[in-house]
Amino acid sequence: MRLGMVIDLKRCIGCYGCQLSCKAEHGTPPGVFRTRVTKKETGQYPSVSLISLPVQCNHCDDPPCVAACPTGASFVWQDDGTVDIDPDKCVGCRSCMMACPYSNRYFIEERHYYGEQRATEHEKFFELKIQTGTVTKCDFCRDRVKEGKLPACVANCPTVARHFGDLDDPNSEVSRLIKERAGFVLHPEQGTKPRVYYLPA
Amino acid sequence: MSTARSRYEQFLVDLAADYRPQRQWAEGRGIYLIIGHFFVGVAGGAWVYGVLFAAPATLIVAYLLAALGGLAHLLNLARPERFWRMMTRVKTSWVARGFWGLLLFLLGGLLYLPPLFAPTISWSSSGPIAEIGNVLAWAGAVLMIVYMGFVYSTSKGIPFWHSPLHPILYIAYALRGGAAALLTTVALLDLPIDPQSGLLKSWIIITAIVIVLWAFELHTVITAGDPAAKQSVHELFRGRLILYVYVGILVIGLLIPVLLVSGTIVRVGQTTLAVVGLASIAGDFFIKFASIKAGVHRSIQLARP
Repeated sequence: MRLGMVIDLKRCIGCYGCQLSCKAEHGTPPGVFRTRVTKKETGQYPSVSLISLPVQCNHCDDPPCVAACPTGASFVWQDDGTVDIDPDKCVGCRSCMMACPYSNRYFIEERHYYGEQRATEHEKFFELKIQTGTVTKCDFCRDRVKEGKLPACVANCPTVARHFGDLDDPNSEVSRLIKERAGFVLHPEQGTKPRVYYLPA
Repeated sequence: MSTARSRYEQFLVDLAADYRPQRQWAEGRGIYLIIGHFFVGVAGGAWVYGVLFAAPATLIVAYLLAALGGLAHLLNLARPERFWRMMTRVKTSWVARGFWGLLLFLLGGLLYLPPLFAPTISWSSSGPIAEIGNVLAWAGAVLMIVYMGFVYSTSKGIPFWHSPLHPILYIAYALRGGAAALLTTVALLDLPIDPQSGLLKSWIIITAIVIVLWAFELHTVITAGDPAAKQSVHELFRGRLILYVYVGILVIGLLIPVLLVSGTIVRVGQTTLAVVGLASIAGDFFIKFASIKAGVHRSIQLARP
C-alpha cells in the first residue's frame, strides 16, 4: 500500500481550513505548520489573480530527508510508505530541512503559545507530545488513519478539494483522479517521486 | 518583544517571500554550524600540511581546531544530549560520516600526538599504538575535509548549495585553510621551515584554485542555475551579504594576502607571513559564512504549471 493525497486546485478556495484543522489536530505551536496554504498574486492590473497552493510533506517515495538524517529519526513506515519523524531520536541538526526540496519541515525551536502569556487549555493538552528542539512535519495523520478516519485536512476541507487513498490501487479515488485529470506533482525534476498530487485549476 | 516572538514574526515574513532565506544554519544556534565547519575544515587542511612539512606544532593546532569544531557542532544541535545517535546512519547521511570523521581524528590524534611531544610517555612515536593513531587521524582528516561539501551539495532544498562543484570547493577551502594555518604557525612559533621552500607557492596555487572554482560555480549558477540559486548570488553581490563578500572575502581574504605575498607593499618576513596566514583564514571563514547565509529555499510557487 502507498498512501497518497490529491489536492484539487480547481476546488481549493484558499480558506485555510486544512491549515487550521491540522493545527487543531496536532496542537502545533506558532510558526510550525504541518500543512499550510501559500498564496500569491499574479498578473498586472486589471488582469490579476490570486493563486492558492496548499503545501505539506509530499511523503516522497525517494525521500532525501530520510537519507540526510544522521540518526534515523526520519524514517519510512513499511506498511504504507509514509515518511515520519521519531521525535525521541531527533537531535535537531536540521539537515532534513535543508534536504527537503519542498521546505515542508519545521523546527520547533522554542515553546511559545498563541495565548499572550501562557498555554491555552488546548495547547496544554499537546504539551507532552511536542518536543522542543526537534523537527516536525505532516504524518498523514497516522493516528487518525489507523482508526479508519481521514486525515484532518481532508476531513475538514469544506470544498472537498482534498482526497486521500491508496495510490497502488488503480481503482481508488486518488488513482482515478490523477489519471483522469492529469494530476501533477511539485518539482518532479528533483526525482523524489512525491505522493501528494495536484489537479490543475 | 521576546526573541521567540520576533523570530516568529520574521518567519511569517519569510514564508510570504518567493525565496525564503534559510536561517536554520546561519542564525541563532545555526551560527555554530558555520563556525564548526570552518574550524573542522582548517583542522583537516592543517593536518595535511603539518604532516607534509613535518611541523608537529601545526598538528597540535589542527587537533585543537578539530576539538573546537566538534564543540561547535554540538552547540549547533538542539538536542546535544542525543549526539551519539549521529553514529547510526553512516550509510546514507554525510552528517553522520562527518561525525565519524571527527571522532576518528580526535581518537587518532590522541594516540599519535603525545609521543611526539612527550618521549617519556609509555608508547613511542614509531610503535604500533602511534601507527594506529596515525592511520585513524589520517582517515578522520580526509573525511573531515571531504564531508562538508557533500552535506551542502546533497541539500536539495537549497539550490545554491545543490551543486556538484560544492564538494570540490570545500576540499579546496580546507587545503587553503591548512596552508594558511601552517604559514601562521611557522611565523608565530618561529618554526624551522623556510616558507619559500614550497609552502608559499602551495598557498598561491591553492588560492588560485579556490578563486577559479568559486568563480566557475557562480558563473554556472548565473548562466544555467535554478532561479533560487540565482537569488543567492544576488544576495551575495548585491543584497544583504555584500559587505561580507567585498570586504571579508575579496579584500581581507584575497587582496591583502595576495598583495603581501607578491611583495609589492612590504618584503615577505615573519610578521607578513603571519598576517597572510591570518587574513587567508579570515577569508576562508567569510567565504563559508556568506555562502551558507546566502542559501534560499527552492520556491514552491514557481513550480506550479
